[in-house]
Amino acid sequence: MEAEVTLNNRVILSIVDLVVDFGQTKAVDGVSLEVNQGEIFGLLGPNGAGKTTLLSAIEGLVKPASGRVVVAGLDGAKDRTKINAILGVALQSTSFQAELSISQLVRLYGGLYNIEMNSGAIRSSLESAGLSEESNKRFKQLSGGQQQRLSLLIANIADPLLLLLDEPTAGLDPQSRRKLWGVIEQNRRDGGSILLTTHSMEEAQSVCDRVAIIDHGKIITVDSPKNLIEKHSSDPRVLKVARGQVTLEDVFIGLTGGEIRD
Amino acid sequence: MTSNLERDVQPRTPTPPFRAIKSLFIADFLVLTKSTRALLAAVMSPIYVLVISRSSKAQTRLGGSPFLLTLSVTLGLLSLSLVSYTMVVARDRERGVFQRLRITPTPTWTIMASRILMQVVVGEVLTLIVLIVSSQLLHVTLSFIDYPKTMLITLLEALVFLSLAQSLVGLVKSATTISALGSFLYAALLLTGLLGVSGVLGTTFQSFAKWTPVGAIMAVFQAALSQSPWNGHTTLALLACFGYVIVFGFIGVRYFRWEAR
Ligand SMILES: Nc1ncnc2c1ncn2[C@@H]1O[C@H](COP(=O)(O)OP(=O)(O)O)[C@@H](O)[C@H]1O
Ligand SMILES: [Mg+2]
Repeated sequence: MEAEVTLNNRVILSIVDLVVDFGQTKAVDGVSLEVNQGEIFGLLGPNGAGKTTLLSAIEGLVKPASGRVVVAGLDGAKDRTKINAILGVALQSTSFQAELSISQLVRLYGGLYNIEMNSGAIRSSLESAGLSEESNKRFKQLSGGQQQRLSLLIANIADPLLLLLDEPTAGLDPQSRRKLWGVIEQNRRDGGSILLTTHSMEEAQSVCDRVAIIDHGKIITVDSPKNLIEKHSSDPRVLKVARGQVTLEDVFIGLTGGEIRD
Repeated sequence: MTSNLERDVQPRTPTPPFRAIKSLFIADFLVLTKSTRALLAAVMSPIYVLVISRSSKAQTRLGGSPFLLTLSVTLGLLSLSLVSYTMVVARDRERGVFQRLRITPTPTWTIMASRILMQVVVGEVLTLIVLIVSSQLLHVTLSFIDYPKTMLITLLEALVFLSLAQSLVGLVKSATTISALGSFLYAALLLTGLLGVSGVLGTTFQSFAKWTPVGAIMAVFQAALSQSPWNGHTTLALLACFGYVIVFGFIGVRYFRWEAR
């Protein structure tokens, strides 16, 4: 029987015992997690924790050694093109052809998601992302905030059921960051679900419904930001690093250790 | 906090391959038009050969006008595949362009199909230019049937060189190494083909060079233009060309990695 998109249960993404290894390193080491429909879910973890690799496994860019990825009832190992049709992705390293103008990029990705876009449609989509002045520029000529808005515009081009965003606000000024949060929240209001990675505690607290803290390829804890603070506020490791009232950052550093990664 | 929103939009379905190839092809074409340097190199070297060998004395010394015509086409196609194709693929792989393309809802082979199609089309256009220029400059008299014949052999020749190029990007990951090896192969293949055919390096080398990709395809090419008789060697050379496409194409696809790490 043909696999179909199923949205009858409220879980849009389910990951079961996922393991991804690169030679000796287990970048993802037995992760299980569920993202519900309409949820904004944050992955919080130090550099090298395995966040990008986890997203890559959902996107089908890396093959897991074991475990399962299920998106809207579709099996990640079997229904790849069907899954890709309902995923919207902004990769960590934005990787568009440097020679193309951004309106040419929108046209290309529109076509790849099987959406007929004439010049008018392209213009109005760029306008909605505040990029109408930039339509003839190349990706590299955009500011960081504009680049992220274009990545997000392309991620959203086919009205995805699940958005995967890898550090969408890294390196943005506060204004651009707020604007991007607005886009993400709008996406949820339109019925989408979002899985994003971030280093920003503030971002996790202000936009994410639930957060998973991940380190060394393993999920340490999952809950709403508020509950995470409550749950771990008496953990001695957390208390040791707290400077006054326990914050999400204290929980994060307490649970993942104080040493610097790169 | 999860919302109870049910999506009223229909979930999207995969994009049919031909539709994806169309979009990719347009994008690849736009990228190509902006890579003027590589394109000029591919067009100018064959034209240059034709221009310097304008005089009939030069032509005889260089092996006659049909030889020069096939040489020009070969020069252009070699540079298109071993220099520009490999460079663009290596660069796009390092930049992560392929990764972004691969997560769209269409089979990944369409990404390469579009690029290879692009190379073949450019190769054919180049051949047409060479044919027109050589009929003007070299006074090669081509019958009507020579045109489709040449185009067909161009297709085979383009596939031979592209499969070589594909195995290069399949076996090597680093863009700088690929660029160096691509230029080296370009020169080495051209020289073995040329020097082998001319026989200046002795008969042992000649009998080896006859079977190199350039040697084999040029033999087929010249026989097809009825400048040399079609004999047993030509048939074997043709088979060798198919063999090259299969073997190198297989290696190139089997070992190709989409990501640079
Ligand atoms: N393609 C790859 N090849 C080898 N090792 C990799 C590759 N991608 C990631 N890694 C390793 O896997 C681990 C997790 O990396 P990553 O998922 O990028 O972490 P994060 O996104 O959380 O910073 C790191 O140790 C990294 O060096
Ligand atoms: Mg990362």
